Amino acid sequence: MTSPSIHLIPLPFFWLLAASFLLALLVYVGARRIFFPAGPNKRSAPEQDRDWSIPSIDADTQKQSPFHNWDPRFKVVSLLIYWFCVASINQLPLCFVALLVALMAVRLAKIPVRTSMKRIAALSGFVGMFLIVMPLTVPAKAGDHLLVVDSFQFLKFNLRGLSLALRIGLKASAIALMMDPVLGTSPFPVTLNALARLKVPGMIVQMISLAHRYIFVFHHEAKRMATGMRARGFQKRTNMETLRTTGNFVGMLFVRSFERTERVYNAMLARGYNGQFHDVADFRAKPNDWLKGGFWVASGLALATSDKLFHLQLPYGL
Amino acid sequence: MHIADGILPTSVAVGSYAASLALMAWSVKKTHGDDLPKVAVITSSFFVASLVHVPLGPTSVHLLIPGLVGILLGNSAFVSIALGLLLQSLLFQFGGITAWGANSLMMGLPALCCGWGFEHTKGTTLFRHVCAGAVWGGIGVTLAGIMLALLLFTSGEDFLGVAKIALLAHLPVIGIEAAVSAFTVSFLYKVKPELLRTALNSVP
Repeated sequence: MTSPSIHLIPLPFFWLLAASFLLALLVYVGARRIFFPAGPNKRSAPEQDRDWSIPSIDADTQKQSPFHNWDPRFKVVSLLIYWFCVASINQLPLCFVALLVALMAVRLAKIPVRTSMKRIAALSGFVGMFLIVMPLTVPAKAGDHLLVVDSFQFLKFNLRGLSLALRIGLKASAIALMMDPVLGTSPFPVTLNALARLKVPGMIVQMISLAHRYIFVFHHEAKRMATGMRARGFQKRTNMETLRTTGNFVGMLFVRSFERTERVYNAMLARGYNGQFHDVADFRAKPNDWLKGGFWVASGLALATSDKLFHLQLPYGL
Repeated sequence: MHIADGILPTSVAVGSYAASLALMAWSVKKTHGDDLPKVAVITSSFFVASLVHVPLGPTSVHLLIPGLVGILLGNSAFVSIALGLLLQSLLFQFGGITAWGANSLMMGLPALCCGWGFEHTKGTTLFRHVCAGAVWGGIGVTLAGIMLALLLFTSGEDFLGVAKIALLAHLPVIGIEAAVSAFTVSFLYKVKPELLRTALNSVP
């Protein structure tokens, strides 16, 4: 049992310097990895946008793995339950277990490291904010451990806040990493077909499918428009002119998309569209599918219940 | 800013899923059946527009456009935003899959509100349209920021600091978004004014 008072842990000034140096280094390395994955030498001109090329959801469907030959219906349902179980965990060691499971699943599903890294990079901003802000802002409660640097008494680094942020980061990564083994291991139309078979309204499934398809079309269009703007000498700056141009750009994108919808819809009708979703895959549940589904649901429930039942006491209130 | 997995308490995550699904059903009901495929195609253009970055000093912010979606789609805005956020989560991991419900509420409710507000304040002149566009574009982001802060705060008082900072981070975006919305509305008023009148025939 921790004693019900606040523990102050004094640190010499040196620690603050070391911590800020480490933080700066991490931010620098992280930024380089995220923004210039090809290395700083090959980076594009500084005024150009960050590369927002849209990743493909189902890039790795040609491989063989326990995830690839698993019925997508079971995959989606059992992993959705598993995700919610993982999201409900509250203890640090179990969060590590969830992350380990996710890493093993990624390995098992033969997802390229680059794909997983992209998911983690997308999280890093939000989770990074938590990691920096939470330890400094969490209100000190009885039993908390605060790190205080000698000459900076106002900076109180709460270890409980750090632990909260860490748990969030681990859970978010554990769930994010599992996205690719679910979505990347069967073609996206097949996954959508599975959703339709799971009694998701056909119209919603079709809307997801259409929206997904046209994202790439409009992204291409937006890129062409941006190229045209650059060719006419447009440079993004912090001024009203940039906002006006961006407003027109967005407006033009909408005009083109609304005009395109009419043509798309007419073309769909011409090809015999009647609001029905046609099966693109043959779904047959094998015992193996049930077994794998049962495994994930059971592991999710096991994580969630052991989180409620057992309480591990970690040092420093982590 | 989209909420990642593992932040919200399970009750809030599940509850917001239920609320989002209910609102989605309502939104679908308010849209003509023939218009749903069109909403899907328009959703992709919103998705792409939300990837547009505007420089802000040394950094840059991306557009959130809940206001513009509401202005253009009215009651259909919620289903459009929910789908867009689902795809953002699946493709980019912007927003966790278990927080999809919360993220949809955070962006979709402001969009519905802005659509309604714009409809009632836009008047008939270009000037009135532009003013309404700016106001509702700004209000959209403000509401989204407030929703984000409230949702974070449901996780307990420990999250108050993060909620405050998240709200502060929305402040510069409000101005940018208001300006871009105003310019977009002005552009649409001149180029294709019917989009601002009744983009889709909404069901009464």
